[in-house]
Amino acid sequence: MKISKIIITIFSLQCLFLNNIAAQSSNPDFMQSIGKIYVVVAVIATVFIGIMIYLFSLQKKIKQLEDQIKD
Amino acid sequence: MKENWWKIIGIGLMLFSLIFGMLTPLKPGLPSVFPFNGKAGNQLTLSIQGYNTHFDEVKDQRVWLKLGDYTLGASKLEATSSNLLKATFNTPDILPSKDSVVVFTLISDNEIDGASVMPSAIFVKQANIDSLGAAQIWPQNSVDNLHQRAGITFPYRNVLGETIRNLYYHVSLWFAMFLILAVSVFYSIRYLHKENMVDDHRADAMVSVGVVFGLLGCATGSIWAKHTWGTWWTTDVKLNMTAIFMLIYLAYFVLRGSFQDEIKRARLASVYNIFAFASIIPLLFVIPRLVDSLHPGNGGNPGFGGEDLDNTMRMAFYPAIIGMTLIGLWMADLRFRLSVLADKLLDRM
Amino acid sequence: MLLEWRQKNVIYGILLYVVSTVFIVYISTGDIRPPVWNILFWIIVLFASINAMVKSFIQENNQRQLYYYQLAHPVAIILSKILYNIGLLFLLSILSCLAMTLVYESPIKRMGLFGLTIFLGSVGFSITFTFVSAIASKADNSSTLMAILSFPIVIPILGTLMMLSANALGLIQDTAFLKDIYTLIAIDGILLGLAIILFPFLWRD
Repeated sequence: MKISKIIITIFSLQCLFLNNIAAQSSNPDFMQSIGKIYVVVAVIATVFIGIMIYLFSLQKKIKQLEDQIKD
Repeated sequence: MKENWWKIIGIGLMLFSLIFGMLTPLKPGLPSVFPFNGKAGNQLTLSIQGYNTHFDEVKDQRVWLKLGDYTLGASKLEATSSNLLKATFNTPDILPSKDSVVVFTLISDNEIDGASVMPSAIFVKQANIDSLGAAQIWPQNSVDNLHQRAGITFPYRNVLGETIRNLYYHVSLWFAMFLILAVSVFYSIRYLHKENMVDDHRADAMVSVGVVFGLLGCATGSIWAKHTWGTWWTTDVKLNMTAIFMLIYLAYFVLRGSFQDEIKRARLASVYNIFAFASIIPLLFVIPRLVDSLHPGNGGNPGFGGEDLDNTMRMAFYPAIIGMTLIGLWMADLRFRLSVLADKLLDRM
Repeated sequence: MLLEWRQKNVIYGILLYVVSTVFIVYISTGDIRPPVWNILFWIIVLFASINAMVKSFIQENNQRQLYYYQLAHPVAIILSKILYNIGLLFLLSILSCLAMTLVYESPIKRMGLFGLTIFLGSVGFSITFTFVSAIASKADNSSTLMAILSFPIVIPILGTLMMLSANALGLIQDTAFLKDIYTLIAIDGILLGLAIILFPFLWRD
């Protein structure tokens, strides 16, 4: 259970970070600033989140298996 | 630890490409010039926008307008800030060309930033056309002793800007997806050959990771497109190709889902996997010929082909591909072990 | 193995299907221009052929398949089915072409190229659809599955066909159409080879 908690923490931190970006990006030029570097940041964040979601789905499957073993 | 070495290599390569790819600065570039048109014979004053430049610190700043071999140096230069430069040109009445509107390339050079080029920077109109006469007046080949910027840099391209770094995080995803799907086809073939259930589970796990990478590739491409082309999705060829990829592999899952019998499912899924993969290989060669692509590197867009993909970019790009592939294989490995366990549990019950 | 000639009514059914589809399209569109003609033609052929191909494996009962299984080698079966389907599809495309020429004016500028395109197209379609229908026949909801499985696979072939026939209609002037023909032949060859290699695995049970 500990690992999943750590993952959840990382995930929520990620969300906070993204919210921060969203708050700043009310300025339409934000994504275009500094040679569009934040587009690259968003891309990396998306890849990271995608891999996280895959891990979560794996975790769900493992949980089902554990429940089956218990029964 | 012995069986984990390739995962560690994968993480290491990915970390390397993240750090190296994000920290290396871009070469100085010239994103825009104002005004972008003028008349021959007038005094032309251009405000040149720089990126990563040091106009206000340098001593030996030079700027030229270039057309073929003819180059005209700026007569007066004034740096207002590190990224803004005012250059004044005294253009002659006649231009060394037979056209009435001539497109010039802008070249800037100084000892810190090195040389930067902005192709088709400014349109100049001439009232009288006398290309032979102009050839006498215009100085030739005055661009010499260009400087090189010190240190490791990535190339600067207009439109792309910093997003040239997406090569390591978006394009490498596609390469990794393709490699992983190829490995899954290998396991499908091995299943048909040896009839070992384990191989089918491996192929299935790899297809699922391949689809995840494909979807991520779509998502990341979409984010980039929104801020470069202005829309989330275009009818670009490569996007259509990915749509076909996704359709094929979603059909693969539908096929798997429609069988209860394990052996039958494994055999049919393997057969379909091989057949589908073989039929999309021509797609990679056929479809790009049908229409021009908006993607960098196609149809005259600034891109990564040939000279654009320079050696420093390769140093981050290839590790990114290998790292991404290894991480994908790791994900698939976990998934595979899970389904083998589930199988064993089912047998015991 | 060309037993299927006996099912004459099936062939008539498909031909009637093509004619009525063309007629419905004619009624609902009125006058059309060559680019639209090109697209409409291939869509009609695509759907008619998928309808025809569903019959090749799915609508056969198990006893008959068992009978074939005892009688012949799987490679012989898939080859004969593919050959038969090539003939059927070629006939079908010619007929839909004729029907469309009848109701619209024929925009075809280069008859030979167009004929070759139709032929290569029916070869590619018949290999893909026959093979996929062999896969889909093992499942329960087979006709839906057949469409899902085969459409993405057939897209590269369809794209090249559209290019070639646009050439034949004189819509585009492309000197590289020979290259398209070669790619199409290559795709057909690859798919045929794979179908022959992989079919014995499908046929086992």
